[in-house]
Amino acid sequence: MILYIDTSSNYLYTGVVENGEIRKEIKKEYGHRLSEVTLPEVVSMFENTGITPRDITKIIVVNGPGSFTGIRIAISIAKVYAWTLKVPITTITSLEAMAVSSEDDTVKVPVIDARREMCYAGIFSKDNEVILKPCYISYKNLQQQLEKIENYKIISNDGEKIQLNKPIIESYNPDIARITEVYKHKKGINPHAVNPDYLKLTEAEESKLI
Amino acid sequence: MQEKKDMIILGIESSCDETSASIVKNGTEEIATVISSQIDIHKDYGGVVPEIASRHHVKNITIVLEECLEKANMTMGEIDAIAITYGPGLIGSLLIGLEAAKTLSWLYQKPLIPVHHIAGHIYANSLVQPLKFPLLALVVSGGHTELIEMTDHYKFKKLGGTLDDAIGECYDKVARVIGLEYPGGPKVDKLAQVGTPTYKLPIPLKDDSYNFSFSGLKSAVINLAHNEEQRGNILNKENLAASFQKVAVESIVNKTKKAIQDKGTKYLIVAGGVAANQGLRNAIENLGNQMNVEVSIPPMKYCTDNATMIAAAGYYAYLDGRVADLTLNSTSSAILK
Repeated sequence: MILYIDTSSNYLYTGVVENGEIRKEIKKEYGHRLSEVTLPEVVSMFENTGITPRDITKIIVVNGPGSFTGIRIAISIAKVYAWTLKVPITTITSLEAMAVSSEDDTVKVPVIDARREMCYAGIFSKDNEVILKPCYISYKNLQQQLEKIENYKIISNDGEKIQLNKPIIESYNPDIARITEVYKHKKGINPHAVNPDYLKLTEAEESKLI
Repeated sequence: MQEKKDMIILGIESSCDETSASIVKNGTEEIATVISSQIDIHKDYGGVVPEIASRHHVKNITIVLEECLEKANMTMGEIDAIAITYGPGLIGSLLIGLEAAKTLSWLYQKPLIPVHHIAGHIYANSLVQPLKFPLLALVVSGGHTELIEMTDHYKFKKLGGTLDDAIGECYDKVARVIGLEYPGGPKVDKLAQVGTPTYKLPIPLKDDSYNFSFSGLKSAVINLAHNEEQRGNILNKENLAASFQKVAVESIVNKTKKAIQDKGTKYLIVAGGVAANQGLRNAIENLGNQMNVEVSIPPMKYCTDNATMIAAAGYYAYLDGRVADLTLNSTSSAILK
């Protein structure tokens, strides 16, 4: 039984998947309340289905990119859970989750706005192979990369302002069954080493480099 | 008669730049403590950078917890409750400890005890000797300067606090003016020991309140250094440190003295990182002797941020019925109640 948690955006996306089927999932916008509600929501999901913490055989947690504080909520919960109950754990990026959740019909470009004309993005083939590794990139640069591609779709979080010349943008709706199916065999990592991958330095570190 | 069962509490603290876990028995007996400090990381920036601190907390949290359990030779199953600093502090930092504590509380079905960081500093004293009431607590640290009256366990009444900068913050700023590396507070204290207070600086907030103010004093030091430089005078660092320390300590002692007189205090405890300051320690001890007040200052390891004090305070919070559910959230500006 797989536990999936993602708090990298304004939404809580969590689910418990057994044999490829969703036992229970929660997809809800919480914004700044994520720190307060994430664990209670996970607990309610367990209680409503009669699942106990020890029934979980794998944890898949999203390690970013996205909201720095948000990412750390799911990571803190997941790594403590995996460490103390010795549950295998692995991380995936929010951009991978966005790509595999979308229909396999064309090249997929998940984009998360990072303000100041920058974004986090990746480019994936329709079979979800990496074309451009998840990165912190300017919209301008991303636009240039996309000009080489004939057909593609942009996937983004609902309500986010994406500064790209593409009229149709697909709203991200995680397919938790699919995500866990694709990544269930991804190599586990030591819980101590489960950390966010922000893809961006802190402002203090950036200004130190200048 | 049934013997009272011991209570083993796991404390977690991550409010600033120290990730700490500690196991304490019955609020008084430290079993094991682990502290992962980020001082060396923040040194390059001249102070704590909140986002960098948060990033290190999340990296360290399970390692610190594991080391603490190993050091205690215990398992999570032997822990009776989890005490967590919910505030005040840096919100991103606090959240790491909070989520870890909530997760452990859920997985092991143990009570979650919310602890105010200042309550932790005060209860650091109970690791040395039981608190005696009524007491007056002087809390001095990088983030706090407060006078708190306690009539019993967990009965706090804030008499006054700083209106602007905390004393420790002011020390660090003065250290920077003198050219000392972060954290410079303890270095200013050392220099002050060998200097003479030759520079004239204003005593802050000479009023009838129990409040403090250090931003004016900080500005006065900055201006003084600037003016000396303009005049081509070489700044005597030792003397500047001594001059600053004299005024800063005097301001704290004056307000503490007033509180002792007004409240008829017989027992004074000092808490927080700046309680390690030799100048302040001496002055407070003299004040205690003068006014016939017993003074308790915890050893250095309990003065700076640590989870031992959180577990100790957590014990008394639990006895006071303070248990939180899993919706507990961190808050950067929690009021001590």
